[in-house]
Amino acid sequence: MPVYNFYVGCSVPANYPNYEAATIKVAEAFDMQLEYMEGVACCGSPNLRAIDYMGWLTVNARTLAIAEKNGHDIVTPCNGCFASLKDVYHFLKHDDEYRKKVNTVLKKESLEFKGTITPRHFVEALYTDIGVEEIKKKITKPLDGVGIAIHYGCHVLRPVDVTEFRPEFLNELVEATGAKVIEYPLWKQCCGATVLPVNEALAIRLARDKLKSMKEFGAVFITVVCPACGNQLDLQQLGLKESYGEEYGLPVILYPQILGLALGFDEEAVGLSMNRVPADPIIDHLTG
Amino acid sequence: MLVVHTMADTDEPAGPPITLIDPIDVSKLNKKFREEIQSMPDGEELSACFACSTCTAACPIANIWEYKPHQLIRMIILGMRDEVLSSEEIWLCLTCFECQERCPQKVRVTDIFFDCKNLAAEEGKVPPNIVGLGKELLEKGQLYTVTADWEREDMGLEPEVPGLSIDPVKEILAETRTKKLVEGGE
Repeated sequence: MPVYNFYVGCSVPANYPNYEAATIKVAEAFDMQLEYMEGVACCGSPNLRAIDYMGWLTVNARTLAIAEKNGHDIVTPCNGCFASLKDVYHFLKHDDEYRKKVNTVLKKESLEFKGTITPRHFVEALYTDIGVEEIKKKITKPLDGVGIAIHYGCHVLRPVDVTEFRPEFLNELVEATGAKVIEYPLWKQCCGATVLPVNEALAIRLARDKLKSMKEFGAVFITVVCPACGNQLDLQQLGLKESYGEEYGLPVILYPQILGLALGFDEEAVGLSMNRVPADPIIDHLTG
Repeated sequence: MLVVHTMADTDEPAGPPITLIDPIDVSKLNKKFREEIQSMPDGEELSACFACSTCTAACPIANIWEYKPHQLIRMIILGMRDEVLSSEEIWLCLTCFECQERCPQKVRVTDIFFDCKNLAAEEGKVPPNIVGLGKELLEKGQLYTVTADWEREDMGLEPEVPGLSIDPVKEILAETRTKKLVEGGE
């Protein structure tokens, strides 16, 4: 049974307990042992990287060093946490000078970053360590080929030399549930969540472009693997309806929610009622 | 006799020609800026830029930027330190890495904008809402705190996040720039 350090960050437990619970239940179904990390908090997000590079490096190197002590890879369900951890991991592995600086601070807690474990996105671990074929074997309620647009999120896709994440991972994982992956022109584009604190109008415009592109190309649902992207695409649909009378009606479903349903979990187990754009229509697309 | 009139012959110039682009005042350039960025994390490839503008073509919001991504990179190379560090653009950057991903010269454009933001932060030039996020991190050790713990319980989770420990994050950030920035803004 593979064991992982489970790093949830701050947004998933505070805003998306349904994502957290669905992730744990899906992991259990495939004998992945997720152990909550002791003594950690927020990764700081790209905002901390922007204003305080050294603080951001140290906070995340500390999380990595704690995981190293436990001896297991880290998995996280959040793209922001994944980006922070993976970026810091990648940078410190290649930069002796900064590694020394950071380790001087970590020494106070008897910690040291060595780079011996890898931070990973939960879905990548699911794809690599369990594999699509094993997942397919456990699907009891496949989806009926309903069109799902995947929003991967910038921080798992890029920069690829750091993230080492391929979009195919998620495509194949979604297809394993029986859903059809919809191709749409703006598939790589940002949802706008990162710019919310400085320019809300721009953030809304980006979400709208994305939603329009998905809808035009036949999406019925959206799948995300990040609480920030999920929040942005879900919440802005309500705003667009209120401000412009534009209704997209695209439920935003976290990947473990849809996989959970296909594995036969009921909608309460994956917290479907917590989604803002009502996500229960997906039940109608389950067969078996 | 055949007289050929060129455009230059027809109008008497009324004054000096109109300048379409304000020339750069060379005396105001900070020639060390390029080296400063190159010595920062992921800045090394900066001078490989040959201004092809692929980064700008890739940027989903370059159309609303006064200084486009390739121009900002060029401004760094030229030494327009004040203009770059005071620009709104570096804070509007989505950090989507579309520019960096496509750079044929492997210039780490998005990463370099992060370096620029750090230099701007050192001078206290940070949008107030971003300082606010720094304050949250400094005081609470995280950006989001669980308020609706019943929702967690509904999902069969512990009401409090297992293993959460906010003090170490607060202590780290009290020793780094975050604290200076937050206190400077008060």
